[in-house]
Amino acid sequence: MMDRIRSFARAHRELVVWMTVLVVILLVCVLGPAFSADAFAQDPLRRLLPPGPGGVLGTDAFGRDILARVLAAGRVSLSIAAIIALAASVVGSAIGMVSGYASAAGAVLMRAMDALMAFPGIVLSIALVTAIGPGEVSEVIALTVVFTPLIARVVRSRVLSLATRGYITAARSAGMAGWKILLVHILPNALPIILVQAVLVFAAALLLDGTLSFLGMGVQPPTPTWGNMIAEARPYLVIAPTFVIAPGVAIILAVVTLNALGNGIRDVVDPRARTLSNLIRVQRRHDTTMRGSRRSLATKGSLSRG
Amino acid sequence: MLPLILRRLRDLVIVLILVATAIFFIVRIIPGDPAIAIAGDQATQAQIDALRQTLGLEAPLWLQYLQFLGGLAIGDFGTSTTFNSPALPIILASLPPTLVLALTATVLSVAVAVPLTVATALHPGGLLARVVNRTNAVAVAVPEFWIALILTLFFAVRLRLLPVSGYADPFSDPLGAIRFLALPVIVLMINQVAVFSLNLRESVIGEMLHLYLRTARAKGLRERVVLVRHVVPNAALPAMTVVGLNLGTLLGGVVVLETIFVIPGLGSLLNQAVGTRDYAIIQGVTIIVAAMFVLINFLVDLAYMFADPKVRVS
Repeated sequence: MMDRIRSFARAHRELVVWMTVLVVILLVCVLGPAFSADAFAQDPLRRLLPPGPGGVLGTDAFGRDILARVLAAGRVSLSIAAIIALAASVVGSAIGMVSGYASAAGAVLMRAMDALMAFPGIVLSIALVTAIGPGEVSEVIALTVVFTPLIARVVRSRVLSLATRGYITAARSAGMAGWKILLVHILPNALPIILVQAVLVFAAALLLDGTLSFLGMGVQPPTPTWGNMIAEARPYLVIAPTFVIAPGVAIILAVVTLNALGNGIRDVVDPRARTLSNLIRVQRRHDTTMRGSRRSLATKGSLSRG
Repeated sequence: MLPLILRRLRDLVIVLILVATAIFFIVRIIPGDPAIAIAGDQATQAQIDALRQTLGLEAPLWLQYLQFLGGLAIGDFGTSTTFNSPALPIILASLPPTLVLALTATVLSVAVAVPLTVATALHPGGLLARVVNRTNAVAVAVPEFWIALILTLFFAVRLRLLPVSGYADPFSDPLGAIRFLALPVIVLMINQVAVFSLNLRESVIGEMLHLYLRTARAKGLRERVVLVRHVVPNAALPAMTVVGLNLGTLLGGVVVLETIFVIPGLGSLLNQAVGTRDYAIIQGVTIIVAAMFVLINFLVDLAYMFADPKVRVS
C-alpha cells in the first residue's frame, strides 16, 4: 500500500504539491486566528497603519489587524464555498444520475438545468439573494442553485456513457432495481469525475462569494469575508493599499490552488484529459528536436484511433 | 439543414420560456407579501392594497403566471416602482453601454488570444509558452472587482493616465469613450484572454492528433505553415463556441464592473434596483441578460453549422 502511494506521488508530483499548498492554506485559516491578533478588536488610535511593527499587514479603518482579519475571513469564505461545493455536488449528482438513467424525467430535468445555466452566475445569485434576503444562508442557497446545473450536466453525460456498459445490462436483466443500480454500479464509477467538478466548483464559488460580498449581498459585516473586506477597504484604496491587496491575494492564491488541484485530479481520472496532458508532456520533451515530437505525436494519433 | 435550424429554434423558444418561468418563481419565493416588501414600513393598508392590485397579486398563481408570460411576449415587463413607468424602456435605455463594453472586450480578447496561443503552440516547451500557461492559471483566478480597484489605483490615481470612472458614448465622443472604456475593457480581457487561450490550446493539441498533419509535414510544409494553415482553422471552430458560452461570465463581469466604474448600463441599473427593491427592474434585467446569452449562443450555433461542413451537409 505504501509503495503504491509513493509511486503515485512520484508520478503525479504536481498534484502532491498543490494538495500540500491547499492543506497549508486550510490549516493557516483554521488555526491562524488562534495565534494572530483579535480580528474584531477595534482601536481608534491605530487606524489605517501601514505594514510594520503594529501589524504585519497594517490595520484597517477601525484599527483592526488586517492579517488577523484576512485569516478570519478565510475561515468564513472557505467554509461557505466548501458548503456550496458540497451541496451543489450532492444535488447536482442526484439530478445528473436520475436524468442520465431515466430518460423521460431526464429530459425535463435537463431542460430546467439549461434554463438555469442561461443566467450569468452573478446575475442569478443577485436575483436569488434579493428574493430571499441577504445573509449567509441565502448566499449558500443562491450559489448552490447556480452551480448545481454545472455538476448535473457533467454527471449526466458520464452516466449516459456508463449506462450502455455490459454490466449494467446484466444487472438490469438480473432484476436489480433502478435506484440500486444507480447507487451500486453507477455512482462509484461517476465519483472521480464528481470529485473533479466539486473541487473546480469550490474555486468558482470562492470567486462568486467574493463578488457577492463585495457588492454587499453576501455575509454581512462585521463578520469578515475576503469580498466584504475589499468592499470595506475600497474608500481607503489610496491611503492604505495593503488593506485592499491582502484579501485579493488571498482569493487568488486559494482559487489558483483549487483550480490546479481540480485539473490535476482530472488528469489522473479522466482518460481524455490524460491523453491531452501526456501529449503536452511528450511535446515538451521533444520540443528541442522537432523531428522526435512529430514521430511520437503520429504514434499517439494512430494508437488513439485503434 | 433547415429542419436542424428549426429544431434549434424550437429549443431556443423552450429555453426562453423556462428562463422566464425560473424568474417568475424566484421573485415569488420572497417570504411574506411582496406588496408589503415593496411599499415599505411606512405604507398604509390602503397603499398596500392598491399596490397589490397593480401587481396583480390578487389573482391565483397560475393566472399570474400566464399573465406574466403573455406580458413578456408583448414586451410588457411590468411597471418599475421607482421610475413609475414601464420597465422595458428603462432597461433598453441601459443596454447600449453594457453591449459596447461586452463586445469590445470580446473582440479584443479574441484578437489577443489567437496569435498568443498559436505562438505558444509552435514551441510548447518554450519560454513564451511557459509564461503564458502560468499567467493564464493566475488570470482565471483573479476577481474582476479586485483587479479593477488595483488598476484604478495604478493607472488613474498614481499615473493619472486614465479617468477613475465615467462613461462617454463611443458614437458621439469616440476619444472620450476610449479613455473611459480602457480600464474596464482591460479588466474584462484579463479573464477572457486566459479562458480563450486555454480552450484554444486544448483544441489545438487535440487537433494535433489527426493523421492529416503527417501528410502535410510529409509534403514538406514547415511547422508554422502546418499550424497556421491546417491546425488553427480546424481548432478554431470548437473554440468559437467558447466565445459564446463565455458570454455569460462576461456579462456577469460587466454587471459588476459597471458599478465600480460608474457606467450607466444594465449592471448599474440592477444594483440600483436591488437597493430600492424594484422587482420589475430586477426581473426584467435578469430576463434580458439571460435572453441575450441564449440568443447569442443560438447565433454561434448557427454560424458553427454554416462553418462546419460536417454539420452543413448532414
